[in-house]
Amino acid sequence: MKSARVLAIVPAHNEADSLPGVIREVRTGAPDLDLLVVDDGSTDASLALLRRAKVRHVHWDERMGVGAAVRAGLTYADRLGYSCAVRLDGDGQHPASQIDQLLRPIREERADLVIGSRYRDGGTYPSPRGRRLAQWALARGLSMMTRGQVTDPTSGFLAFGPAAIDLLAEHHPGGYGEPELLLYLWRSHLRVLEVPVEMRERIAGQTSLTMLRLLGTAARMLLVVLVTPLRPAPRGARS
Amino acid sequence: MTGPVQFIAVLVSAALLLLVLELVRRRALSEEYSLIWISFSLVLLALALRRDLLHAVAGWLGVHYPPAVLLLALLLVVFVASLHFSVIVSRQRRQIERLVEEVAVLSTEVRGLREAAGTAVAHGSTDHDETSGVAARASTERDAPGA
Repeated sequence: MKSARVLAIVPAHNEADSLPGVIREVRTGAPDLDLLVVDDGSTDASLALLRRAKVRHVHWDERMGVGAAVRAGLTYADRLGYSCAVRLDGDGQHPASQIDQLLRPIREERADLVIGSRYRDGGTYPSPRGRRLAQWALARGLSMMTRGQVTDPTSGFLAFGPAAIDLLAEHHPGGYGEPELLLYLWRSHLRVLEVPVEMRERIAGQTSLTMLRLLGTAARMLLVVLVTPLRPAPRGARS
Repeated sequence: MTGPVQFIAVLVSAALLLLVLELVRRRALSEEYSLIWISFSLVLLALALRRDLLHAVAGWLGVHYPPAVLLLALLLVVFVASLHFSVIVSRQRRQIERLVEEVAVLSTEVRGLREAAGTAVAHGSTDHDETSGVAARASTERDAPGA
């Protein structure tokens, strides 16, 4: 039995500085949402903070990547019968006030996954030029492959409908998997839609994407982009 | 046909075969993964005992220096074995990730159920549910009602 409830999934790794702000914002800005923080092996005060604030949380000791964290959140949503889920970053760059906008296409049954895009409709978001270029190239490639329009393939501000929850609770790409996620859903014939949103710069802390990691991610993505269309459609995919 | 080299080669390959079998006997190596090593050491032993086999293969391939064939075969075997293990490691990593996620989600579910049932007080602070480490979480699972 699916309820109309929505679960807000916040994957976090060492975000103790920005988590209180994110929690407060979701609780006040989107009070009808249930909040679940997935603590991906934080070594800072995150866990103590979550316990003290009595926030519902999933926790493990070793870092496994944001993909695993989101998958765990979706597994939880699936298990407890949530019909929709929203994913916000633990660093506070996704304003809770924009969640409604993200959920609207799913409530109107126009999409299975909604991506909050920083760049759609001329949105302005200060990104380093190199990264912006890499994202642009990735966006063009993905748009061409999926014959859709993708402007922000690495956005972590996402809303999942029932079909996406069902599918991704089983399989969600690990690592920095947002573009992989897109390809996987496209391969499974789910409807992906982008909506423009405004994002902030991170409240506190450091982005976990260092240059070396970015290179590794790029290589991995290239491989995934090449291989995913060759894989058979996953189980549970729409025909 | 004979010579110290062949003697040592036979000895070493026989020792390798015995080592693999001993590891299986002690359950240090599971049967499924031992097969690749057993067949590998059998081939080695056969080549050590019958050098003409190596010469025949070399002649057939058109290689003038027979030991080169041996080296080539060795390289190939090591490559295939490593690839095999990479596949196993990847699979195990996936399984472990799923397992950790599953246990963590279950632990959160149990905590929620306890709070809903109001048994949190009877069990002491729920904060102790998952202090740290998988062992602590496993105990959480055992404590779960109906588990």
